[in-house]
Amino acid sequence: MSEENIIEIHNLKKNYDKGNIKALNGIDLKIKRGEFISIMGPSGSGKSTLLNMIGALDRAEEGSIKVADIDLMEKTDLSEFRSQEIGFVFQMHNLIPNLTVLENVEIPMYEGKLNSEQMRERALELLEAVGLREKAETNPTKLSGGERQRVAIARALVNHPSIILADEPTGALDSKTGDIILKLLKDLHNKEHVTLVMVTHEPYVAKMADRILNVFDGKIKSSS
Amino acid sequence: MLMVKNPFRNKTRAILAIIGISIGIATIVALGMVTGGLQNSTQNTLKAGSAEISVTKIGSGSFGSSGGTLDESLVEDLKNISGVKDTAGILRVNANISTTSGGGFGPMGGLYLSGISRNKLNMVGIDSINGSFYTENDSKEIIIGKTAAGNLNKTVGSTINIYGTDFKVTGIFETGNFIQDGGAYVSLSTLQNLTSNQDKVSSIAVKVDPDANSSQVSQSIQNAYPNDLSATTAADQANRINQSLGAIDTASWAISLLAIIIGGVGVINTMIMSVYERTREIGVLKAVGWKNKRILGMILGESIVLTLVAAVVGVIMGIIAVEIILNFMPSSDSFTPLLTLDTLLKAFAVAFLVGVIGGLYPAYRASRLAPTEALRYE
Repeated sequence: MSEENIIEIHNLKKNYDKGNIKALNGIDLKIKRGEFISIMGPSGSGKSTLLNMIGALDRAEEGSIKVADIDLMEKTDLSEFRSQEIGFVFQMHNLIPNLTVLENVEIPMYEGKLNSEQMRERALELLEAVGLREKAETNPTKLSGGERQRVAIARALVNHPSIILADEPTGALDSKTGDIILKLLKDLHNKEHVTLVMVTHEPYVAKMADRILNVFDGKIKSSS
Repeated sequence: MLMVKNPFRNKTRAILAIIGISIGIATIVALGMVTGGLQNSTQNTLKAGSAEISVTKIGSGSFGSSGGTLDESLVEDLKNISGVKDTAGILRVNANISTTSGGGFGPMGGLYLSGISRNKLNMVGIDSINGSFYTENDSKEIIIGKTAAGNLNKTVGSTINIYGTDFKVTGIFETGNFIQDGGAYVSLSTLQNLTSNQDKVSSIAVKVDPDANSSQVSQSIQNAYPNDLSATTAADQANRINQSLGAIDTASWAISLLAIIIGGVGVINTMIMSVYERTREIGVLKAVGWKNKRILGMILGESIVLTLVAAVVGVIMGIIAVEIILNFMPSSDSFTPLLTLDTLLKAFAVAFLVGVIGGLYPAYRASRLAPTEALRYE
């Protein structure tokens, strides 16, 4: 694997429904460390499946996939990889409603080696970065949609991941709030030198990336 | 943090589950308190200073009055047996009493009345008294147990009419044994004259030398009078009572088992619903890198938190239930229920077990969820 490429995928295939649905039908992809990639494509084209493969939430049937020097086809326990290398931002923020904002951001650190004081410090640092430090003790149900997504971004970054995987992070937000979230993601991408892979429907959102991949029928049709 | 907060997210469901489990726990605690109280009372018969052996005529019980009497001369004769330190003749009757309060008391509506020499009272566990002891020489004086005093509504100075004779209450004693405390004592000669049992006793209390073995002395007594006397050590007696208590204990275990099964099913149901509702959340936890083991631990922990809360509620419910039931029982103060550490430990152990058994399957299911499917779950 080249030093430059943090993601290397070759001929990756994933089927659903006993092979009737070919979600990924031979993906070839290389992504450089620190790159900002947008993945576009119609519903059911396989873009979210591709994101899940990179994030080791699911396993492919064929091909090869290496992320941050780890062969995801070989490794059996992928939870440590997810905890150390990947930060997820979902369309629906997916915060846990009965925990405070601070506790939500601390969740990924439970598998790490920090003590509770260090965890709290790191979570507050991230909440500061997304501009929500003063809401640390608030319940997420009392936040606006944009604020919740900012908490989710803080949660994704808390373990110093090398890759942020964002699945339509602005899909549930109005355009103005969406822009704030995109700007925040892009700023953090620049500042933390983290690789950002974002699935989106919106062409204007995609254009903010260094490179746009168009996925169709489980294959990458074009890269620009 | 999650383990403590999560079980109470759906409050109604949590409360229903807690009530279900706590009823089982309350039953265990209530039965435990009754058994504990009876056991404690039995053990009080073994207290220091009391006689270790009770000698009766063969074929009669130690508390029997009609089982057969012994010649009083045996009281002195037994002192000659090796290892015997002291003896005391006791005459016991189940006396019919006339009382102005009209309330019947004790088995068959009578009062366990015993006659014993005033200076031998320590051999039946009566060392101290509220008031004074009776005097000897056919006095019409009586001392009564605390429970009997309460039930008959008598205090020091009251009179009790027994077999047509008025007795003056000179003192009230308390031994901690509910049978003793429900009875009364007069001097031996008084009771012998009153019941026409001159020179007769119904049992002989035997105190053994400190360095002698009570079982051996008991055997020696029976060997000396093989056809007449039956000797029982206090330890034997306690064991016999403990055996009957053992039956209650077995029932208590059976109820515990039932509580585990019923509570366990309730907890499984509650936790499966809880996991089902949080499928997406569990997907997120997996996405942020939580290991299956941690998710298993979290759900199992939630289940245990739920049942331990139920244990606290159940213990309180059990104590209140025993108090309420005893309040409505006519001879409620005949014994004091006792909450032992054993009972408490048992209640919490059962609750813990219910938590583990009930939580295991839902926790396993949660830990095996596929993250992509869990995240797609609406």
